[in-house]
Amino acid sequence: MDVQIIYNIPHERPLGYLIATYFYLTGLSAGSFVVSVIATIGGKVEYKPLGKIGAVLAPILLIFAPINLILDLERPLRFWHLFVYLNFTSPITYGTFLLTAYPLSGLIYAWFVFKGPQKMANFFGILGIPLAICTHGYTGFILALGKGRALWSTALMPSLFIVSAMVSGIALLILIASIRNRFFLKNPEEREKDKGLITGLGKFMGGIIIMDLFMVFNAILVLLTSTKEAYEVVKLMLFGSFSLEFLWIEIFLGGIVPLFLVFNKKTSKSLTWVTIASILTLIGVYSMRVVVVIAGQSVPLH
Amino acid sequence: MIRKGEKRKKRYGFLIDLRRCIGCHTCSVSCKAENGVPLKVFRSWVKIIEKGKYPNVSRSFLPSLCNNCDSPICLKNCPVKATWQRNDGIVMIDEHRCIGCKYCMASCPYDVRHINPLKKYVQKCYWCYHRVDKELVPACVEVCIGRARIFGDINDPNSEIAQLIATNPVQVLKPELATEPRVYYIGLDLDVMDPMKGWKGWRHDDGGE
Repeated sequence: MDVQIIYNIPHERPLGYLIATYFYLTGLSAGSFVVSVIATIGGKVEYKPLGKIGAVLAPILLIFAPINLILDLERPLRFWHLFVYLNFTSPITYGTFLLTAYPLSGLIYAWFVFKGPQKMANFFGILGIPLAICTHGYTGFILALGKGRALWSTALMPSLFIVSAMVSGIALLILIASIRNRFFLKNPEEREKDKGLITGLGKFMGGIIIMDLFMVFNAILVLLTSTKEAYEVVKLMLFGSFSLEFLWIEIFLGGIVPLFLVFNKKTSKSLTWVTIASILTLIGVYSMRVVVVIAGQSVPLH
Repeated sequence: MIRKGEKRKKRYGFLIDLRRCIGCHTCSVSCKAENGVPLKVFRSWVKIIEKGKYPNVSRSFLPSLCNNCDSPICLKNCPVKATWQRNDGIVMIDEHRCIGCKYCMASCPYDVRHINPLKKYVQKCYWCYHRVDKELVPACVEVCIGRARIFGDINDPNSEIAQLIATNPVQVLKPELATEPRVYYIGLDLDVMDPMKGWKGWRHDDGGE
């Protein structure tokens, strides 16, 4: 049947780049925090610098993340309403407290990582891990509970967000650690040891990228065979106006190329190539956030 | 407050009889006038499609407005409880409390909410509660020239709307989402209620920030 739309009222996309950036920053923070704690508790002395980098990055990123949220409000000066008027069925209400508690615990953790004692650092690290995961997981719930949008309202969304947070967090750690290696480590022996650590971290990142790609594949496959709206939104991502952001930047540049770089025999031993892999991954994860938030709202609802 | 499972004494509902709709947009205009809805945003509008091949063609209309659902996702998702529901079912927004996070707009399956571009908070159709409280019908119902729009208490068996719902095949939009919308349609066309039919794809200049 030929159908022509003669008249309709298009609506504005409610959420945009600020929200995507917010998701990206919390993801980076949660990911680098978790890796930092693993490195701190892991025991070996060589890992300690990685733990310190992550401990500094996590709270700094989480100070910038909520600024995006407040700027996105139509009434930014009313942001305090979030602390006073609570709605326990809304994920944003939980987020308010997570976004307050997590950076605080992260700061305490960072203090003990640098000043000791080690025991306290371990304690606050372990305490912070569930907070970090919840802080990023809840952003997945924000989308998953938006029941009007086919791309968002899937049970996969919170886990997918946590996995991609880990990927981006490790990538950022690799980037900062290799800058430290290149410009701040003078002793050649120490530098060589540090390089081994960074390329090892690259392999760890590769493993989690595989998980991430697997989950994205699952999401796409199920959406393709589910409702009409889901099918249309996946078509937008695969062949439509988001194929550049999704297929090429997120999947190819941000997933497959870094995987090749960190697992290939030659490039996986080179600090330069692993660093390039981490930069590509960082770009890919940002593209993922943008695609999820914006493509998710790009099919009409009426 | 109405608890879960408890029956409301009075439950307002809205019925649109599409056999009588001629697509004149009087409802859209009257809504703007009655509620002072600013330019660029709409609380009530009519989607029009044309289908078929000449000479076998027809037009179908979909007058849209807030469904004032019985299980509204906007109410569940509002982080500051700015969205609340009256005992008669009308879903309201506390404009002094709304922070404009737009989460309700993103989660509404019917896309009926808008940011007021002047006052900077979320608004939507409230079935003209200010008129309803004074025993009048909503503005769009009052002006509808075909009398296609009927408003009333669906829990009162003697009301016109309850009788029409009881004696006609009726339809709601997206019933599978369990929001329990309370805008009923008689004679709703499959193609006009399908957002994807006739959709030309998303372009970068559509609905930006």
